[in-house]
Amino acid sequence: MIISQFVSIRVYSWLNMVKVLFFGLIAEQQGRREYELVVNGELTLTELLASLDIDSEAPLILALNQQQVDDLAMVISDGDEVAIMPPFSGG
Amino acid sequence: MNGVRIQQEDFSIEAEVDALRSVSKCMGGIATFLGCARDFSEGRDVSAITFEQYAGMAAQAMQALRTEAMERFDIIEARIVHRVTTVYAGDQIVLIAVGAEHRGPAFEACEWIIDTLKQRVPIWKKEVTPEGDSWVTEHP
Repeated sequence: MIISQFVSIRVYSWLNMVKVLFFGLIAEQQGRREYELVVNGELTLTELLASLDIDSEAPLILALNQQQVDDLAMVISDGDEVAIMPPFSGG
Repeated sequence: MNGVRIQQEDFSIEAEVDALRSVSKCMGGIATFLGCARDFSEGRDVSAITFEQYAGMAAQAMQALRTEAMERFDIIEARIVHRVTTVYAGDQIVLIAVGAEHRGPAFEACEWIIDTLKQRVPIWKKEVTPEGDSWVTEHP
């Protein structure tokens, strides 16, 4: 019993819930506007894009918790909100 | 009335300028920029434009834009209103209004705000054309 509780706590500590948002053309290409991602271990923005088949060299704007980020090596943490956006075209 | 707004409904230029002027009697010049919907784009007819935003981030970015404009330019007040909805040819989309003691900084700040808004605020437009809908990917 003690061992089983220990194991479940260990597993839980490695699972991170991340909210991923898509906008504009990217939302259309992905066929969805948002989803919850369960991350087992560490995940960088580069790895996230690769897992979604999004070319990181394409014109993209990324935001982590509503702040624009340029460093694709950033690691996503539990509870983060990641937005994957095409270049802005307001105005 | 909040001077930095993203909203669906139309706005009144007169009401926005009145609100700007009510802040100070030191304004000797007020510059405005009004962005409107065109009925053509890149050689195609456009029957409507639909806007989309990243709500929380767009509001923050527009507020930060006003704050930075107030710091960068010798101005007294600035207002920014952007509609996020479906608009048709001739409809109003965005209004920038800037008040300063002198016209120079008012013009400069107004131009800087609209140029920078296009780069920094997460809003997108999709044009409805006879050839189909198409997302606008540039901000000329």
